[in-house]
Amino acid sequence: MRDASRSAAAAGLRPWRTHTVRVREILAEVEGVATYDLAFRDESAGAAYRFAPGQFNMLYLPGAGECAISISEDRATSAGYRHTVRVAGNVTKTLTGLRPGDTLGLRGPFGTSWPITDCIGRDVVLVAGGIGLAPLRPAIGSLMRNARQFGRRHLLYGARSPESLLYWRQYEEWSQAGIRVHTTVDRADSRWTGHVGVATLLLERLDAIDARNAVLMCCGPEVMMRFTIAAALNRGFAPDRIWVSLERNMQCGVGLCGHCQMGGEFVCRDGPVFRYDRVAPFLDVEAF
Amino acid sequence: MNGHSGADAGQRFLHKDRFPCLLEQLEAMGYSVIGPTLDQHAIVYDRIRSVDDLPRGWTDEQQPGSYRVRRRTDDAWFGYVVGPHSWKGYLFPTPVVIARAAREGGDWEFKEADDAPPKFAFLGVRACEIAAIRVQDRVFLAESYVDPIYEGRRTRALIVAVNCEQAASTCFCPSMGTGPRCTSGFDLALTELSDGFVVEVGTAEGAALLATLDSSEASISQLRAAQAARRSASEQIERSLDTRGLRDLLMDNLEHPRWDETASRCLSCANCTMVCPTCFCGSVEEVSDLAGGRVERRRRWDSCFNIDFSYMNGGHVRDSIRSRYRQWLTHKLASWNDQFGTSGCVGCGRCITWCPSGIDLTEEVLAIRGDAPVSEGSS
Amino acid sequence: MDVEHVRYALEELRFLAEVPSEVIARLADAASLQRAASGSVIFREGTRNANLYLLRKGKVALDMKVPGRGSVRILTLGPGEMIGWSALLGEGKMTAGAVALDDSELVVIDSHGLLRLCESDHHFGFQIMRRMAAALAQRLVATRLQLLDLFADLPAGAAAPVRLEPGDGP
Ligand SMILES: Cc1cc2nc3c(=O)[nH]c(=O)nc-3n(C[C@H](O)[C@H](O)[C@H](O)COP(=O)(O)OP(=O)(O)OC[C@H]3O[C@@H](n4cnc5c(N)ncnc54)[C@H](O)[C@@H]3O)c2cc1C
Ligand code: SF4
Ligand code: SF4
Repeated sequence: MRDASRSAAAAGLRPWRTHTVRVREILAEVEGVATYDLAFRDESAGAAYRFAPGQFNMLYLPGAGECAISISEDRATSAGYRHTVRVAGNVTKTLTGLRPGDTLGLRGPFGTSWPITDCIGRDVVLVAGGIGLAPLRPAIGSLMRNARQFGRRHLLYGARSPESLLYWRQYEEWSQAGIRVHTTVDRADSRWTGHVGVATLLLERLDAIDARNAVLMCCGPEVMMRFTIAAALNRGFAPDRIWVSLERNMQCGVGLCGHCQMGGEFVCRDGPVFRYDRVAPFLDVEAF
Repeated sequence: MNGHSGADAGQRFLHKDRFPCLLEQLEAMGYSVIGPTLDQHAIVYDRIRSVDDLPRGWTDEQQPGSYRVRRRTDDAWFGYVVGPHSWKGYLFPTPVVIARAAREGGDWEFKEADDAPPKFAFLGVRACEIAAIRVQDRVFLAESYVDPIYEGRRTRALIVAVNCEQAASTCFCPSMGTGPRCTSGFDLALTELSDGFVVEVGTAEGAALLATLDSSEASISQLRAAQAARRSASEQIERSLDTRGLRDLLMDNLEHPRWDETASRCLSCANCTMVCPTCFCGSVEEVSDLAGGRVERRRRWDSCFNIDFSYMNGGHVRDSIRSRYRQWLTHKLASWNDQFGTSGCVGCGRCITWCPSGIDLTEEVLAIRGDAPVSEGSS
Repeated sequence: MDVEHVRYALEELRFLAEVPSEVIARLADAASLQRAASGSVIFREGTRNANLYLLRKGKVALDMKVPGRGSVRILTLGPGEMIGWSALLGEGKMTAGAVALDDSELVVIDSHGLLRLCESDHHFGFQIMRRMAAALAQRLVATRLQLLDLFADLPAGAAAPVRLEPGDGP
């Protein structure tokens, strides 16, 4: 029998379509983290590829498996797409064995993106923790261009130690583009004159901000995000202007495998970037 | 579509003697016929080549945590309810190759699945199962990404439904609005009488198929006998699930003490998700040849009851049975509605029957509603 | 430096937001303003110190000496935050050393005077202690987060199997 749903499916997208991409360049970042610049081998696939800041790809290493990795630069470099990866387990470990010129698979882009247009005319606070700065870097790029559209722009970034601050070479450039970069670390000795303590403290201290009208975007460990949200609400940010990027186990990236569910949301498809008020009921339920 | 006005108009009668022609005709049309067959201890869905493959004279007896096949006193061909299998085994097979990778000239080349399934004709599909297929259609076909394996199989499949004439103690399809009578979603729907079948047509394909068979117009006595047979299924249904406000009831009670109580009985064995005809979760594994130059990506059914289902570096999101049972039940009966605009449960009762602990979702809901839990197997 | 200046400085502090102005006025009587040049020591670990500080401007680090590891920087504080709580709640023996990292301005409150005020006027005392408790609770929660060492073995966003509720008590 032929059901009505078939008509909608006629134009369906193909979840497992995998592109061959080539490693153009590998940039060592901090300990255990490197950025892979990946270029589509097939030029027409590369030309047709479009993504928005905050979206991710599934990177595929045959034999090892796939993992979800955010696109970490807001536009293609001369010819590639950057992915900043932290070694976490099997797939990410295997990735470190690749050299420029090697190929791997890529599916995507998937998921939702940061609300850049909502930031027009508003102050913006980005809060990142650890590798969580990677998915936010494309948003920083967007906030640097057309800077006059936006209000005051702050980046609050927490990492483990001064040595693990990701993308440190770029802070100067970001500052010059008007983004106030506040970094903080969990661990330091007294030679470090930057901030020590968690990023939520920076948020609590932040003065130059119209919290009630500002947009906040956050990516980091889920525990950190919960505290950031609490601090933000406390500072008067509106729940519908707080955005978080969540993480769950993902097999397909398109809402078909069921792994990433969080209540009614599929994190891969309805997220990873969520408006806080949409996931608030689930974020605080233990083990949901 | 067939333009008949009354529900009975155009119903035909197919004598059991003529039934083999249906199977032959389906084969001739290129279909692989899949239907019920007795496999030692259960009635399962498998290849049907002749009417002798059908579970003639057998029935099933189901209780929470128990399933038994038993001889009938008559020779009914479809005289059982539902077994552990469902059609998802054919439409959403496990394991299945979804993609391949091969190293050619140093570079990895990727190919999508080359699933080349036969055209299936499903024989003996129950009303709740039609509903379950509709639920999976919604999941796999109606969103922007379409599952190619499901699509390839589903779009070519023919459905010959057979109405239930009896119910198991675990059935509650009326509560879910899915049965017991087949009302749509089939190409042909049959109601079994002792000597033949009253046949309803659902689609043009069904009509064309029926036209090739030697059937006669159903007589009023045959129509009434079929009606009585279907009614006996409805009358036997004793279990129910009150779905009023169910989504909010569950989502508002994520910390209800009942979850702990259920967790003490649930073994997290995943049986309920394997037998459920709507569960659609899957995981992908890599299978390489020895040299590692050829890799198959195989998808298997997975279950929210498996601890690794929610694994991420640093831990499992749902690390307790309590959280996993809660995930399952709230998904079936609550968040499924948010995701797909329909319940994830069609009331087939399989999860109740095949749960080694006899956990009954209708009782769980009752308990969360705060009503006294009904005692097992009663009501 | 007149009392009006001090009062103004206190009223501007986030630490004292929502504290009634009569309470601030009384606090101002026990307070004065102080500058600390970048690099200067405000107090040393282990020493006795009778002052409670509220940072107006700049940045101050708290360091602790750990045998074999030298001086560990445990926290940096910014405008609006309190330093030297042990002067008020402990015996006045500093649990960490404080050093200005930028040119800073502080409101200095004599803790003996403050304690006397609190004792003589419990309503006033309640207002002050409540602010102290809130500030310490916030710092406690932040310390716990820091303790979790979220960026150590886990990549960002991994679900650490640890639960900690915002606003948790000790
Ligand atoms: C939307 C999204 C964006 C991400 N962006 C980045 C990024 O930009 N940079 C980065 O370094 N990491 C990112 N991650 C995390 C990254 O996907 C995991 O670290 C990675 O899957 C670990 O795989 P592994 O095989 O190396 O680890 P293993 O521990 O061997 O994992 C085995 C499998 O478990 C699953 N898994 C394990 N950890 C995670 C996880 N944290 N999230 C989802 N699935 C997991 C995967 O299916 C993985 O293949 C992102 C995760 C998500 C969900
Ligand atoms: S949840 Fe249970 S009763 Fe409902 S459809 Fe699934 S197996 Fe059948
Ligand atoms: S509810 Fe029953 S069938 Fe399902 S996982 Fe628990 S014990 Fe197994």
